[in-house]
Amino acid sequence: MLNRRVVVTGLGAVSGPGINVPAFWNALKAGRSAIKPFDLPIDNIKISLAVTVPDFDPKQHFSSDELTILDRYSQLAVIAAQEAVDDAGLVCGEEMLTGAAAIIGSGCGGKHTDEATYERLYKQQRTRVHPLTIPKGMPSAAASMVSLHLGIKGPAFALASACASGSHAIIQGMSMIHSGMIDVALVGASDAPFTYGLLKSWDALRVLSNDTCRPFCKDRSGLVLGEGAGMLVLEAEEHAKTRGARIYAELAGCGMTSDAGHITRPDVEGITNAIKKALHHAEIDLSEVDYINAHGTATRANDVAESEAINRVFGDYADKLAVSSTKSMHGHALGASSALELVASTLAIHHGIIPPTANFTEADELCNLDYVPNNARQQDVNVAMSNSFAFGGLNAVIALKKYR
Amino acid sequence: MVLDKVAEVIVDTAHCKIEDVTPEAELVALGVDSLKAITVLFELEEAFDIEIPNEVIPSIVTVNDIIEKISKTQH
Repeated sequence: MLNRRVVVTGLGAVSGPGINVPAFWNALKAGRSAIKPFDLPIDNIKISLAVTVPDFDPKQHFSSDELTILDRYSQLAVIAAQEAVDDAGLVCGEEMLTGAAAIIGSGCGGKHTDEATYERLYKQQRTRVHPLTIPKGMPSAAASMVSLHLGIKGPAFALASACASGSHAIIQGMSMIHSGMIDVALVGASDAPFTYGLLKSWDALRVLSNDTCRPFCKDRSGLVLGEGAGMLVLEAEEHAKTRGARIYAELAGCGMTSDAGHITRPDVEGITNAIKKALHHAEIDLSEVDYINAHGTATRANDVAESEAINRVFGDYADKLAVSSTKSMHGHALGASSALELVASTLAIHHGIIPPTANFTEADELCNLDYVPNNARQQDVNVAMSNSFAFGGLNAVIALKKYR
Repeated sequence: MVLDKVAEVIVDTAHCKIEDVTPEAELVALGVDSLKAITVLFELEEAFDIEIPNEVIPSIVTVNDIIEKISKTQH
């Protein structure tokens, strides 16, 4: 049972481009950015751009009872999880799903609930808060709500590593299947960061762009925050084959490192080692890699460090790699980004289409790779990698390959 | 008047029929579990601007028990 192969059999995405995977993928392959002028009813902030889930009315998805316990990040998680499970052909109440794991990452958790509570207490000077504040806002709320909605009774918990939360959750699910602990895992992440306090806090870091998100470009000016959720159904190979499931790709391996250095500045060595470890773990030669979905935040520091790390690992072969940052289209949805990016990487293999880096102008002198500027590329993708590097120096790289 | 408000909050929270919310009705029978019960008390504390202490909660079984606690607290 040890070291079983792990495959991806279901995908779910709630993001700036729309409330399902087709909307997400159509935008990515068209190179269409979902970055929009910030129009949320939040006063006194300087942020001018955001990626919000369009036309999202929670009441169309949940009853009023359900909404009393669902923070916005849990709502997005449940919708994406339901899509992934439906896509995989798993059915609520049947053993295959009942025995599954649900490991749901989040960079910021139930911030809408927390902030509404604090506003009520500190600003409105009220003395009582809603009795469901704790279960609605807790960092594991989305994991609980996904488990509850889908009838998942296997291991379920949350995982937090800032912007790499989704990748670490996916790796955790993969490891549990590898080891024989479970056969099916619903993994991913969700984030809904558009609250006054969180926006102020991000603004204070001075990494938000008021232009747009242009990863790896000379005139890049930072990231654009987004919200969303990405979910994947992972399965042991023989389990998927026995039930005749469609297999999108094989989750071939992963590499994780931590910088133990600066709290925000990425470390080239830490990133380099994470990519190397992923190749080694997946037993993939670097010359087999076709595409890297970059962390590519469009901050000054990330894009240079990431490009340098890719050059260090791949050497002369780096010129032959396609490297793109889909954050230029779905924004930086914190932990959810890393899960959405693995959905994008999986679809790149499945469809033979490499999504571009949108909003691309001219490459930075220190960024010398092929960033697939503005237009998607039709190309057979046998191996794809997805990079995620979190504040605090927590790095996770996942390698996918075409299933054979 | 107190009964009307109590009934309204119970119906909003548990989605039971308004005619079932009589003073003698047991909360559990109306679909008010322990979590819904604290939600009902929260809404009533807000509506009447009162504090219902934790110690009295175990003795609340029927709709009338709630009305009594509110009346006592108001006095």
